[in-house]
Amino acid sequence: MRTLTFFLVCLAVAAAVFVLARLVDNDYLFFAGYVVLQYIVLATAWNILGGYTGYVNFGSAAFFALGAYASVFLHKAFPVVTTYFLDEPYALPIPALIVIGAVISGFVGLGMGYLTLRLRGAFFAIATLALAVVLQTLITNWSYVGGARGAYVIRPNEIEPIGPYIQYLFLLMLALAVIALTVARSIERSRLGLGFAAIRDDELAAEASGVPTLKLKLIATTISGALMGMAGAPFPYYIGYLQPTSAFALDYAVNSIAMPMIGGTTSWIGPLIGAILLGTLQQVATVTISSSVNLLIVGLLIVDCVIIAPTGILGLLQGRRTARDVVADPAVFAMLFVVNVIPIYFLHQEALTARPLEVIFWGVLIFLALARGRMVGLPWLVALPIVGAVLSVVPGPPWLWLVSALALVICLACGLLLRPREAVVRSGTP
Amino acid sequence: MDVPFDLLINALVAGLLLGAFYAAVTIGVSISFGMLDIVNIAHPGFIILGSYIAYIVNTRLGIDPIIASIVMAPAFYALGALVYQVYYASFERYGQEALRGLAFFFGLLFVTEVTLILVFGVDYRYVEAPYIGPSIQLGIIDLPLRMLVPCLVALALIGTLQLFLSWSFLGRAVMAVAQDQLALQLMAASPTRIKRVAFALSIATTAIAGALLIVIQPVEPSIGREYIGRVFAICVLGGLGSLPGALIGAFLLGIVESVTSTFYGPSWAPAVAFGFLLITLAVRPAGIFGR
Repeated sequence: MRTLTFFLVCLAVAAAVFVLARLVDNDYLFFAGYVVLQYIVLATAWNILGGYTGYVNFGSAAFFALGAYASVFLHKAFPVVTTYFLDEPYALPIPALIVIGAVISGFVGLGMGYLTLRLRGAFFAIATLALAVVLQTLITNWSYVGGARGAYVIRPNEIEPIGPYIQYLFLLMLALAVIALTVARSIERSRLGLGFAAIRDDELAAEASGVPTLKLKLIATTISGALMGMAGAPFPYYIGYLQPTSAFALDYAVNSIAMPMIGGTTSWIGPLIGAILLGTLQQVATVTISSSVNLLIVGLLIVDCVIIAPTGILGLLQGRRTARDVVADPAVFAMLFVVNVIPIYFLHQEALTARPLEVIFWGVLIFLALARGRMVGLPWLVALPIVGAVLSVVPGPPWLWLVSALALVICLACGLLLRPREAVVRSGTP
Repeated sequence: MDVPFDLLINALVAGLLLGAFYAAVTIGVSISFGMLDIVNIAHPGFIILGSYIAYIVNTRLGIDPIIASIVMAPAFYALGALVYQVYYASFERYGQEALRGLAFFFGLLFVTEVTLILVFGVDYRYVEAPYIGPSIQLGIIDLPLRMLVPCLVALALIGTLQLFLSWSFLGRAVMAVAQDQLALQLMAASPTRIKRVAFALSIATTAIAGALLIVIQPVEPSIGREYIGRVFAICVLGGLGSLPGALIGAFLLGIVESVTSTFYGPSWAPAVAFGFLLITLAVRPAGIFGR
């Protein structure tokens, strides 16, 4: 019954979002919102397998593309049928395509799990990568659905009760997000979710206590795959022209991992937070910066997040790993420091509007300097990246940039060369 | 199907040459994944990094790419030691390597790939060397030197590593880590230090593998992704942690891929590697020479 309440609340929120979006009445909002919602579904789906059971799926793009290509296939196989009494030009409405996409992707997920889940976890991760490439090769060589050239899916401009077609797609994706979140939350609160958590924490112990691990893992891969297929099914209608490289784009694989990781993997709300934050950030970023820099930002956020905040934004509230633990090892400090300078360098070459994005990485640098500075007994170390950040953000002569770089180098050197004040508790392997 | 004999022979020979190169690419993963249980999916990223360093040295200084890569190997060794230290301090020590460690390497793969794209663009880059271009004719067999030289270098690399692992003290310690870490600790040896050496060694091989890659074919940053599947397929196919197994797995995959692309077209070749991997995982997960 509580699931029903949750579902109704979600539905109410979704309705409010749609009404608000209609009030703004800007088509771009719907286009951008669709992508964010799509990521909510993908991240939630990934998290059911990755977060709850601890099995990493690198092949999100494969399941997503499977749903998309199922739609293209059906679109071609059952061409336009104009009936006398309806103005509906498609033989199959998109909700039906979504169901079909879900069934196909769910079956592939089941098969995939059956092949690999009897092995250690890492094999599953590698096999999902393999699956993505095999499927992409098959699709590229299958000329019926467009092959390498791609396929056009022409969508009507309007749909009867709603108006612009993009609003219809937005509404569908909103519904899918509600379904995905409800499924995730109800799993979390059920015996199934407890079983998943037992597998994640210690598979051997779970097996020994009578948890049917293989069966549960297969359920997880099937649900996760089906949700991803659902997210992919309306995609050809959204993009209008589908080619293998866009359906199998790495963005999906990276983002569906990054979003739950950043939000927090143990609860349904983590992927939601991660998807909204990262999805919106990327939509803002795509307007101003190149897509490569965009991917760089996401990749770095993954690296930063798994090291600094291993339990995500949700975990920050609980504070399980202290700042001191993070930088206790000089190697971690050095690598994080250097790696976070890379996006700042590239963002600096982009348009001026990209400057605000630098704040994230300056923030990480300041955090590192603060934590390491406290440790080596130089609390003022934090001033260096702050000076660097201010100098690089304010407009000025080019040599200011050099000063900023110098400040970072000094900070890195101080952090590395000075010995920690008190003996660091070196926890070796047990 | 009527198969022309000389075409088949040439496809087989090309497959063998390709296989030796694949073995050089895989050998690092055989050590890191097979022996140390570190799922380094960023391995191809390091290989592409190696290719680009060989490219820079070759175009700026005109030094032979393979010699340049051997000179660069110690730098990669240091990089590997650093990466392992980060991995250990942040994940392995906490027992979080399964989910977060994997995501860490995934992120690292991205950071290297996208950084290379931002610096060099997505154009294909290639190197100049005297052995790129000419080929030797042995009867009906055509031996292009740009494949033959990498093949020989790869075999030398694998031979050296195998000798190191089975004869030197440190090499045997690495094998011991692969067998039983707890027992090693009881012998008062630190598995972390030995693993750091072994992982650094596995990254050092990517410098050489990267140079071989750019000798064989022009390189752009995202081709590394094709190698993720190949590398893990070979590693699993040959049996984890066995260098001779990896060599034989690489020969098998090289031949199958070469024959496929000769008779069915190169667009099918990637599916072969990954299909092979999926079948191996399903049928015999321990690999042909599995422990």
